[in-house]
Amino acid sequence: MMGMFAKRRLIASALTVAAGAGLVAAVLAWAPAPPSLRGTAYFTGWVLFGALVLLALYNARKKLPYPPLLGSSVWLQLHAYLGIWSLLAFLLHLRFRFPTGPFEITLAGLFAGVAGSGIVGLWLSRAVPPRLREGGEEVLFERIPMFRRRLRERAEELVVTSVRESEATTLADFYADRLEDFFRGPRNFFLHLIQSTGPLDRLTGQLDVLERYLDDGERRIARELRELIETKHQLDHQWALQGLLKGWLFVHVPLTYALAVFVAVHVVLVYYFVGAGS
Amino acid sequence: MSETSVAKKPDRWDLPFSEELPSPNERRPMGESDVDRLLAMWPFADMDPENFPDRLPLRDILKYDTRLRHYEHGDVIVREGDYGNSAFLILSGRARVYPPGGIDPETLGRRRARRKPWWRSLIELATNPRSPEARDPREYPSFGGQPVPSMDWSGVQDVTNLLRAEPGAFERSMRIMPEGELFGELAALGRVPRTVTVAADGPTELLEIRWQGLRELRRYDDALRRYVDDRYRRYGLAATLQGSPLLAHLSDEEASRVAAEAVFETYGSYNWYGSYQQLRERDVDPLKKEPVIAQEGDYPNGLLLIRAGFARLSRVHGHGEQTVSYLRKGDVYGLPELAHNARHEHEPSGLLSTLRAIGYVDVVRVPTRPFEELILPGMEKRVVDGLVEAVDAERAPAESETDRRVHVSLPVLPNAGEATRGGAGEKIDPGMMEFLVENRFINGTAAMVIDMDRCTRCDDCVRACAAGHENNPVFVRHGPQYGKHMFATACMHCMDPVCMIGCPTGAIHRNEETGEVQINDATCIGCAVCASSCPYDAIRMVEVRDRTNDDAIMVTDDGAAVQKATKCDLCSDHEGGPACERACPHDALKRVDMRDLASFARWLNR
Repeated sequence: MMGMFAKRRLIASALTVAAGAGLVAAVLAWAPAPPSLRGTAYFTGWVLFGALVLLALYNARKKLPYPPLLGSSVWLQLHAYLGIWSLLAFLLHLRFRFPTGPFEITLAGLFAGVAGSGIVGLWLSRAVPPRLREGGEEVLFERIPMFRRRLRERAEELVVTSVRESEATTLADFYADRLEDFFRGPRNFFLHLIQSTGPLDRLTGQLDVLERYLDDGERRIARELRELIETKHQLDHQWALQGLLKGWLFVHVPLTYALAVFVAVHVVLVYYFVGAGS
Repeated sequence: MSETSVAKKPDRWDLPFSEELPSPNERRPMGESDVDRLLAMWPFADMDPENFPDRLPLRDILKYDTRLRHYEHGDVIVREGDYGNSAFLILSGRARVYPPGGIDPETLGRRRARRKPWWRSLIELATNPRSPEARDPREYPSFGGQPVPSMDWSGVQDVTNLLRAEPGAFERSMRIMPEGELFGELAALGRVPRTVTVAADGPTELLEIRWQGLRELRRYDDALRRYVDDRYRRYGLAATLQGSPLLAHLSDEEASRVAAEAVFETYGSYNWYGSYQQLRERDVDPLKKEPVIAQEGDYPNGLLLIRAGFARLSRVHGHGEQTVSYLRKGDVYGLPELAHNARHEHEPSGLLSTLRAIGYVDVVRVPTRPFEELILPGMEKRVVDGLVEAVDAERAPAESETDRRVHVSLPVLPNAGEATRGGAGEKIDPGMMEFLVENRFINGTAAMVIDMDRCTRCDDCVRACAAGHENNPVFVRHGPQYGKHMFATACMHCMDPVCMIGCPTGAIHRNEETGEVQINDATCIGCAVCASSCPYDAIRMVEVRDRTNDDAIMVTDDGAAVQKATKCDLCSDHEGGPACERACPHDALKRVDMRDLASFARWLNR
């Protein structure tokens, strides 16, 4: 039996395809033979402009939690499918040609950037959460630096204790060489994105090799250090994935603002030159 | 640099109950002469003031925790379905009692809860103070202000008059209560909705006692405690039997016979949250601490009806026990086994599952004889056949361990009430059921559940919440998790809100219309009793700021910051319902009512 989300996806996709076909039909109807390029460009331009305004309104809806303006999830669905539909409108507006001139190329590039980052963001928002959950107990993103600091302090405390109790610097040297940097901040961002355990295996392996040089007290401390390394690895994993979920918006939103400015200038220039031409 | 706002430390009786009425015309402080008059009347005349501690003298309880109410002929005093926070004593006149469902809700003046218009919510978004938890001190009595009483505070708003609303309805009462009778205490003390409607029969003067006051009176006066307990058993039992669909077909005479033979039993502790918190801290197997009401395999000796609280259904599984479901108010236990044994006298079945009290449970036991003579004959044959077949199926030896698991997980036990019923694709897996019971989430009517496979941790829910609550979100997006579903730390608006038990001022109360648990900021004295009572850590204490004084922290005259309890209020004063749910772009967050497990199951399996 089809689930709720699959059913919704099917209906929304069908509506998008129908709306796309409608747009193509409207363009063809608007441009009877011989086609008036200027006419269709105005038509698709204003359609695209309207779609962009609607797409941008989603951000406004997010900032207004109380007025009864439909749920945010309805807006996101609209945003996603309208975004895809506006790609078609964009291509029709370009008449499926590569833009010419620096301004148009920049404008088209911005549009492609916004659309591309949106599609990537949508994919990330579906793909990353299950991976985050499978990664074990989760920590709120804002609290990760605090936990990281605690781990570092505990690790340093352990190392100092080992020096004091065993009168040997084996663990302290290892910490200074290998672990100090690891505990200082988030590490291995890109390796975490591909679920690599390489950095963890390397550090724990190196710690295991040290074991034959340690006395019983140091071995106990080494075991605890190992746990701290594993915990820090988990934190880095969460930092990377949660950061990715938040980070893509730092591409999508600024590009949207830049696109809005370029679109406004584009409209003014079009009408300026049309006016000048007439 | 602004000066600090200083006031005397908020106290339990800063705002007397008599001044909490919504209508200024009705607000009249209880004077010494009023108290003297009460002390000369039953039951207060029989009370020994020496039994009351110095900090809670009888005079002060009457002065600050009670108020005089006057009603005209036909005025509705309490409405069926309201969540009352007080009891009433008839000082003069009399009152009529109307049976459950006896009066149309519209006649009773029920209306939608008042919410702010959307444009006011919009303006508030723009005018929110910069700092979190900034309030106007003029709303606090300890700052010399006059608070605006909550819209839903005690009593019936815009008193409905039955004679005017529907003249015929007034005559349909089932009983008349004379002068000196106490009523409404069952709902007030039991944190449950009122079961009947009561209206004044002629001009009537009542003493309204808020439940905190009633609690103290019961605690320090044995006679009143016995009186209340006796009524509790008598009327609680009657209401339970009358409300059960199983007994719907009985005539009045038959119902009375069942009631006469029924036994009222109580298991567990009324203040269950304390022992639950200890269990959590000590990591003790809860099953070992939960009192057994009925044991799997024992011979069934009666039908059990759950009157209040929750009970766990478990079955032997391997060397332990697996929770298969839970029962709540209105559910029954032992029905299939009794039906089976009545038909197969020589092959009786033992109980198919064990029933344990989760926290505190009120149970009514209907013995086997009245069940077989009065209840069973009136049940549809099709239903009885289904019950007998279910028992036979459960007793058949499972062919393999897999079969056994399937049997356990299938919602086939009709004795489990609605909690386990549901059609295809609407099942909750046993692990989730165990998790719900273990963590007491079954108590929630608006538990915040987040699907972590869809949640992108964008915190739009948190921001939306903060926007409507003085820049401070009233929940934490973190909490216990089972599989991909997380139960966030947010007020669940419990069916049994134990947070209300210890509140000395009644600041934390149920909204009479909706049943939501709310905090009256003006009367909260920041004692933190509710916060420490909440088993789910859903109430937080916050330091409040003075929005009229550059958001400076308010302090009491002994130098401590003024604290207030805050928690989720389901955005009850805004249009559209909980902002958190509507703000989630990925359909990941849902406020779940555990009374409707079928909907929850649909959401889980969507």
